[in-house]
Amino acid sequence: MGSHTFKGGVHIPNPYPVEKPEIKQVPPPEQVVLLLQQRVGGEAKPCVELGDRVLTGQVIAQTAGQFPINVHASISGIISAIEKRPIPHPSEIDAMCIVIDSDGKDEWIEIEKCDKDFLNCSAEKVIQRIREAGIVGMGGAGFPTHAKITNAQGAHTLIINATECEPGIMCDDSLMQEYPREIIRGIEVLMHACGAKKVIVSIEDDKQEALNSLLMYSFNDRISIEKIPTKYTSGAEKLLIRALLNLEIPSGEHASDHGILCQNVGTVKAIYDAVIDNKPLISRIVTVTGSAVKHPQNYEARLGTSFAQVVECSEPNNQEHDIRMGGMMMGVDIPSAQYSICKITNCIFVNNKEPDRVVKECIRCSSCASVCPANLLPQQLYWHAKSENIEKALEYNLMDCIECGCCNYVCPSNIPLAEYFSFAKALDRKLKREEIRIDRSRDRFEFREFRLERNKKERAEMMSVKKIALKEKMAKDKEKGQVQKDKITQAMARIKKTKEDNA
Amino acid sequence: MHSTGLNTNQIMRQVTYALILGVSASYVFFGWGVVIQILLGAISAIVFESAFVALRGRKVIDSISDGSAVLTGILLAISIPAIAPWWMVVVGVAFAIIFGKQLYGGLGNNPFNPAMLGYAFLLISYPLQMTTWPIDFLSFNQAIEVIFQLLHFDGLSGATRLDDVKTSLSLGRELTTLQIHSSVQAWINAGFLIGGIYLLARKIISWHIPVAFLSGILIMAMLISVFDPQQHLPIQNHLMLGGTMLAAFFIATDPISASTTPKGRLIYGFLIGILVVIIRSFGGYPDGIAFAVLLLNMTVPLIDYYTQPKAFGKS
Repeated sequence: MGSHTFKGGVHIPNPYPVEKPEIKQVPPPEQVVLLLQQRVGGEAKPCVELGDRVLTGQVIAQTAGQFPINVHASISGIISAIEKRPIPHPSEIDAMCIVIDSDGKDEWIEIEKCDKDFLNCSAEKVIQRIREAGIVGMGGAGFPTHAKITNAQGAHTLIINATECEPGIMCDDSLMQEYPREIIRGIEVLMHACGAKKVIVSIEDDKQEALNSLLMYSFNDRISIEKIPTKYTSGAEKLLIRALLNLEIPSGEHASDHGILCQNVGTVKAIYDAVIDNKPLISRIVTVTGSAVKHPQNYEARLGTSFAQVVECSEPNNQEHDIRMGGMMMGVDIPSAQYSICKITNCIFVNNKEPDRVVKECIRCSSCASVCPANLLPQQLYWHAKSENIEKALEYNLMDCIECGCCNYVCPSNIPLAEYFSFAKALDRKLKREEIRIDRSRDRFEFREFRLERNKKERAEMMSVKKIALKEKMAKDKEKGQVQKDKITQAMARIKKTKEDNA
Repeated sequence: MHSTGLNTNQIMRQVTYALILGVSASYVFFGWGVVIQILLGAISAIVFESAFVALRGRKVIDSISDGSAVLTGILLAISIPAIAPWWMVVVGVAFAIIFGKQLYGGLGNNPFNPAMLGYAFLLISYPLQMTTWPIDFLSFNQAIEVIFQLLHFDGLSGATRLDDVKTSLSLGRELTTLQIHSSVQAWINAGFLIGGIYLLARKIISWHIPVAFLSGILIMAMLISVFDPQQHLPIQNHLMLGGTMLAAFFIATDPISASTTPKGRLIYGFLIGILVVIIRSFGGYPDGIAFAVLLLNMTVPLIDYYTQPKAFGKS
């Protein structure tokens, strides 16, 4: 096997550890708000109307395009609104949501069974099943799973990412401890769907319990479970591949180009539910943690449940809170708990409000460079990103930054470096778009000039052809006229002659 | 991993503390002048930094609290002779803070090492005062009298160690007096060496620059001594004389004006070492550290650009 590590990264202990991560069920809420905007494929189109009664698991919206994703009702009840609501996104924008008021019955829709044994189904059918169940990457990326599997058809190695490296998040850990059998079965379904011959499940070495549970159910000798050192950013796909297989996927290429498919362990559980249990993705496991809650805990909650309701179960204190969706390192700060859980909500941090940290100037100590897993020079990139010198920043490999935030974590001056890089990337995209727009209008202008010129030339040619024709005609006419004249003179001469003769 | 767990203010303070041993050794040999110069340096650094930060319309307390100005003042004060008149350190620090730092935009934006800029400015402007060191321990009263020019002590001062050595070597004098001087210098250098090892252990500086710098000195000194052993300093003296150790761990390692890539730091340190020996051996000034550091400061953008590490996934 590989070297089981990569350059850079930081070891950060879980700031709010629990004795044993368990999963507590959050009861189906009175109301759910289901987000229609998806990470890939744009906004899903509702296929229900206001006032319709829907059952749990019923498809209520679908995205169009190459990778259609279904959105399912996560409770049974009446559609009470289809409107724009604020969504958990740093930009604080509103997006279309479907609101369902519960009827309290949680009545499920009848779902057609896949087959008694999934091995009897073709890979295509299994993938279609995964698509219909609305499964996306549950680790946080939210990329449609069926598309990822389709892209990686014929992969030789399947990597199950169970590292859960962001400190504080415990949802995968508890999932493995509570559903080891389901996860192993889910892996077998995935192997069947992508055709991989070898599976590596990678777990960080601080999750011994989870590892033991998986080992108890893993009888398939094509599945190997490997421990890797606990280090932040080991969950990043390319770094994980580097650690497990000693293979460095070149910048700009994907794991699938090298016959490798990576899936998050939470996604595997969702696949099990979809293919073997015939349940679409209507709930997920969320960690609630942070300095302001009494009991850091994992919860299984229906999609669309409000953050506040889940947070309430962990007994938050009465002070003002800073709320963050996602991990301590890469999560996004959100203004309040009045949002609802979506497919990628793996963690909610509820922290006591703290004064903003004082940001000092960069002293170029290069602590950031020594922890950068992408082996960049954040101190140099920062300089160029800050002065919006994008061209220079690109020379320093801006695009290879994975925005993991290791540099922020070690910076003695508290500079939010990763935010600067994220901003610089956005600026680059904007400039590129602008450039394309300018190129296009220039092309258009040049074509117009060319067209006018061409028309002018064509007209001139036409005119000259006409002119020649006219001249020829005139010449002919002239000749004709001469003949006529001659005839007239002859006739006149004749008349004259007859007159003379008569006289 | 190269994470100190300290913030910028704490880093500056740690560097200041690491100077204590070397300064103590200096005190033992030169007396109270050392302490008075350091106080003068630190106070004038605070005054000029505050004034300029206020002029630039920034918050004075933020700037003073980071401790970088005080560190600059102290480094400059350590570098100049313990009996230099009081206005010299003040002028030097003013130049370092205003022209070396604030005019570029304050902490983090200065391309040159401010302390060395101040030092070079003083050395060019007042070469005599900058090369006259006390021969004996000065009491507090003596030091006050000399520094504030209440009296003129001719008998108490002598030429800079290195200068002295150079003169005596060229005159073919006995080495006995030189050996006393060398041992004084060696003790002071040892003090800074231990302080430097402390900084390395705390991971406040990386090993690259000190190691490359000292190897540069060693290799260049060896080359020179091979060709002309009579006219130049013995190799070990290059390492333990003048400001070698101070430069290796406290001056050349100033992260702001130094190269920032691992490979770049090796090149940067090595070239400073080589230049130091060249200036010491063939130049007109007794020690070449300030000029060597400033010259290499200029090349930093170039070095950094060409020594970028290979990014993950790039061939």
